[in-house]
Amino acid sequence: MILYDYVLSPSCYKVRLLASLLGTGLDLRPVDFHPGAEHHGPEFRALNPAGTIPVLTDARLVLTESGAILTYLAAVKAPEWLGHDDPAMQARVANWLAFSQRLTASAGGARLHDMLGFSGDIDTLRAQATDALRELEAAIHARRRRGGIFLAADRPTIADIACFPYAALAPDGGVSLDPYPSIRLWMRAIRALPGFIEMPGIHRLHEQMPEPGPMPDVVRKESA
Amino acid sequence: MSVTMQDHWYPVALASGLRRSARDTLLLGRAIRVALDDGGAPVVTAEGRALPVQVKFGHVWTTLGVPAGDVFDIPEADQPGRRLVEVGSVKVRCSPLRAVENFLDIAHFPFVHTDVLGSEPHTEVERYEVEIRDDVDEVWATKVKFFQPQAARSAQGGITTEYMYRVPGPTCSVLYKTCPPRPGEWDVITLFVQPLTETTCEVWPWMALFDDDSTMTEMIHFQQLIFLQDRSILENQLPALLPLDPGREIPTRADMLSIAYRRWLKRHGYTFGAQLVAA
Amino acid sequence: MSSNWTPVALSQDVLPGMAIPAHLQDQDLVVWRSATGRIAAWHDRCPHRGMRLSHGFVRGEFLSCIYHGWRYGEDGQCRKIPAHPELAPPAAIKVPRFAVCESAGVVWVAPEGETSEPVDLPGFRGFRSVAVNAAADQVARDVAGQGHLGGCDVVMLVQPLPGGDCGLHVLVADGCADAQLDALSHAIEALRRRLEQGVAA
Ligand SMILES: N[C@@H](CCC(=O)N[C@@H](CS)C(=O)NCC(=O)O)C(=O)O
Ligand code: FES
Ligand SMILES: [Fe+2]
Repeated sequence: MILYDYVLSPSCYKVRLLASLLGTGLDLRPVDFHPGAEHHGPEFRALNPAGTIPVLTDARLVLTESGAILTYLAAVKAPEWLGHDDPAMQARVANWLAFSQRLTASAGGARLHDMLGFSGDIDTLRAQATDALRELEAAIHARRRRGGIFLAADRPTIADIACFPYAALAPDGGVSLDPYPSIRLWMRAIRALPGFIEMPGIHRLHEQMPEPGPMPDVVRKESA
Repeated sequence: MSVTMQDHWYPVALASGLRRSARDTLLLGRAIRVALDDGGAPVVTAEGRALPVQVKFGHVWTTLGVPAGDVFDIPEADQPGRRLVEVGSVKVRCSPLRAVENFLDIAHFPFVHTDVLGSEPHTEVERYEVEIRDDVDEVWATKVKFFQPQAARSAQGGITTEYMYRVPGPTCSVLYKTCPPRPGEWDVITLFVQPLTETTCEVWPWMALFDDDSTMTEMIHFQQLIFLQDRSILENQLPALLPLDPGREIPTRADMLSIAYRRWLKRHGYTFGAQLVAA
Repeated sequence: MSSNWTPVALSQDVLPGMAIPAHLQDQDLVVWRSATGRIAAWHDRCPHRGMRLSHGFVRGEFLSCIYHGWRYGEDGQCRKIPAHPELAPPAAIKVPRFAVCESAGVVWVAPEGETSEPVDLPGFRGFRSVAVNAAADQVARDVAGQGHLGGCDVVMLVQPLPGGDCGLHVLVADGCADAQLDALSHAIEALRRRLEQGVAA
């Protein structure tokens, strides 16, 4: 499978992240999104008339929406990530895939504005991102009340991968994540998955790496 | 007559990126407009007044004051065989001086550029040499060595990389680093910073590399990957302004270059984006 | 319910090995819990180059700064500088701390040296924290204290945040039926909407 990719694109990162979590390789084709705007050029438009990335091709199949790409990758490599155990779960996943587009439009739009100077009404974008993050926070809190943390099932599914990047990178667009304790725990659970990879702006869990050399002496001053 | 930050040249656009439609931006807090004239040459204006313009390293440079000379030179960049990489700009909510200081810093590689420019347990920064070259009025660091898992797009596995750093202007820095495919030569990587306000900047990385294997897009992406890892750090340093007086922040020997840069800024009164009295 | 202690987070939201950002009035704090469960509240600023420590990581009983990995022990003292692995960090490198304690499932913070105890709230546990885009004093007048919400007995703690917002930490009575908690969560959202529209509850 060929992924037309950009290192700074959270949408491309969704696909790279899922592939890494599934332990499967992708043939990456870097697209000069910035500063070259290659995605607006005639060659790329021939592949994807919308002029957006990511694009995934597999033989004659051409997919231009990240949700569809995640679905395909999971269906081929690891169907349990689809969350198709029962109709309700399947529908929850579909709901979150659609919801993720709201994050892309709002938090992603704010990020492109603040980082790469794209045009946009920044106050509106940030307000819409806040609305979406509040919904996400409430939903994860509800999962936590039932002993879970992932969005659609008691295990991670493509729903989590679809929503994770733009939520995690909201601060790039001037939208703070400080007020969302459940989103913080959910992001931590995703970052702790075996095979997790980072992208710029999202750190790996350095706490999981072994401490090089001896731990410094623990000095305990008992507070009264 | 003393040279102020106003009198320096700053990058304000990629020459290749200019279109008929003007680019409205800021320089040192002043509104400027970058456009092409009828003959296709770049013009920069501030409130209708034409500013001096030079095109160098693929970028359009301008100044609000009276420059002492041309945009600085990078002689190595003219060597034949180098690929010149226009990385494009990224906006950062940080002081332009903090952006430069971060570029001069090695010790963060294992934690911020993990498995690319550094990795635990190879965290040690050995003693290196720092000087202010009075003849050219530039800050230099030499004999900087660091272990790197993937020093460049062209590197195969970990190597100990040697660096030299140079600060030819208050918001510009050039680094020279071991060139994996061509021992004996130095890759040239720059960070040209356009100061928008005291706490926001637009960063224009540019490179002149020996690399016959990577595509241009791959080299751009490698550099954007690295710089964007720094962005989330730069936007979360407190205070936003770079403290020039010792006391608020505690350096170690690894920070000799940052200390020299801060002293040099202070000595010249290059304080746009700096804080002088410890808050 | 006035006291010198400010509620800054719910205990359930700071797991062992986590560092989170928090606020005491206009002060930025990092609140973190060590692997063995000790909680701490410090200035959210690394003494080295000013990076927010809330972006850092916890290994064992130490908090590390994400920028250059300087490692701090529970007393706020710097214990390790990775760029100089052999160096014993000077005693002057220390992060200022705040008094911190946990009760009723809430993390409370006060200026260092505080000797009083935070209010006791027997029979309640932490449920949900939300940020409200409205002034703390106004929200406190409307909702602070013990009451009923979404069919549950609750205590609402209001925390001033920088920029004129406030945090609302909702505690729920131990006896509240699980089935009621979804309604409570919705009621919190509805309450926030009302507060942000400036309409008293
Ligand atoms: N593309 C560079 C990445 C470096 C870079 O531009 N950025 C800053 C990072 S703050 C720097 O100081 N880099 C040192 C370095 O190039 O290794 C490389 O080839 O390694
Ligand atoms: S700023 Fe924290 S370790 Fe350097
Ligand atoms: Fe860096």
